[in-house]
Amino acid sequence: MNSYLGQIKAILWKDFLTEYKTRELFSSMFVFAVLVILIFIFSVDLSLVNSNEVGPGVLWVAVIFAGTLGLNRSFTLEKEDSGLQGLLLAPIDRSAIYFGKMLSNLVFFLIMEAFILPVFMVFFNIDLLANLGPLLFVLLIGTLGFSILGTLLSSLSSNLKTREIMLPLLLYPLMVPIAIGAVRLTSHVLGGGELGDMMNWVGMILCFDVIFLAVSIMTIDHILEE
Amino acid sequence: MAQADSPPATEFAIETKGLVKQFGLIEALRGIDFEMRTGEFLTIFGPNGAGKTTLLSILASLAQPTAGSARVAGYDVTDSDPRMRRQIGVISHASFLYADLTAQENLVFYARLYGLDQPEELALRALEGVELSLRRHDKVGTFSRGMIQRVSIARAMIHNPSILFLDEPYTGLDQHASLLLESQLKKLKTEKRTVLMTTHDFGRGLEMCDRVAVQVKGRFALHLTREKIDPATFEQLYIDTVEQVK
Repeated sequence: MNSYLGQIKAILWKDFLTEYKTRELFSSMFVFAVLVILIFIFSVDLSLVNSNEVGPGVLWVAVIFAGTLGLNRSFTLEKEDSGLQGLLLAPIDRSAIYFGKMLSNLVFFLIMEAFILPVFMVFFNIDLLANLGPLLFVLLIGTLGFSILGTLLSSLSSNLKTREIMLPLLLYPLMVPIAIGAVRLTSHVLGGGELGDMMNWVGMILCFDVIFLAVSIMTIDHILEE
Repeated sequence: MAQADSPPATEFAIETKGLVKQFGLIEALRGIDFEMRTGEFLTIFGPNGAGKTTLLSILASLAQPTAGSARVAGYDVTDSDPRMRRQIGVISHASFLYADLTAQENLVFYARLYGLDQPEELALRALEGVELSLRRHDKVGTFSRGMIQRVSIARAMIHNPSILFLDEPYTGLDQHASLLLESQLKKLKTEKRTVLMTTHDFGRGLEMCDRVAVQVKGRFALHLTREKIDPATFEQLYIDTVEQVK
């Protein structure tokens, strides 16, 4: 019998293989994120403001904007020649499709972040290495929430003709709590603060991660139907 | 576990009662009733917009009926039971394949989704069956329509389904691909698989079937056994039936 984990692994394998061959998702997300950082660098005079205060916001704006490009592509790829119908015909749980897509998005986002962090470090002249552990933890929980919610809304908007417009309109307002928490935490750890001092923010992000995950599991059957 | 996975005992492989499907104000299906025994081959003819694809979508649990009921392999289609989906294979206009993956990778992916052992070997055997093993490392995006449809046949058959839904499978096929599909369908018939096919091709549709239905405006306007049909006059019978309902 096909295991639930095996079904998720099959979808992950297919998504990674497709991305390895095309590099469409990664290249577009990375270039877009770098452009966002560059635009902010040229529009903000870093000699007048503290990089640690402006930088985290710019970093998360770059991650979320560039990630939206990836999310738009994620389910559109499944719609081409009805790949999604092929998935729905297979004897697998609908939630396995969601988890497969969500995890592949998460990995793609984390890889993109690994590449834009050095760019961010150079342009904002912030030493990320001194606080790398806590920073990676913040990036992980924030990106996890973005991936959980983004994958759900991407599956929802993929059925719409105006999906490229609808996804950000639905996603950004709902991302506000996670984005605020992630920016606050990033600013705190880059300033040399301990994560333990900001556990209320960590708790809030994790709480939203769990809520969005629960909502996704409850609704994905209906979203993927028809 | 084995008992739970075996299909429920049932007289019919496919059974529908008063199947209705509405899309807003449009009634795509207006009460479809039929049964198919295991190993039967039913061909459904009908003009465009008659609801043939909608019927197949519901039977394949890709869409929910508005009213009525349908059972496939003993399972209620509205439950979308994974054990039911294991029993069915679908070939349609859409290939369900990924253009950036090779033919082999596409089939390995589907074999893994179905939890089959030795997916690579199965994929290779399936591609040999449709005479595409030499092109197995080529991206599907580089294939012709006929070749894509052949890979699609391999995809639909890779898990050895007992029930096949074929939605206008000859669409866009060249002569060679059509002959290949025809030989595959003949093989399915000898293997006693249940096949439900929609097509506009009278010759091919009548050749292999046990029963024929003509679907017009969401209903079966005609439903006969093959013996009662004369291929020479069927085209006229079809036209008269469609005109009568319209």
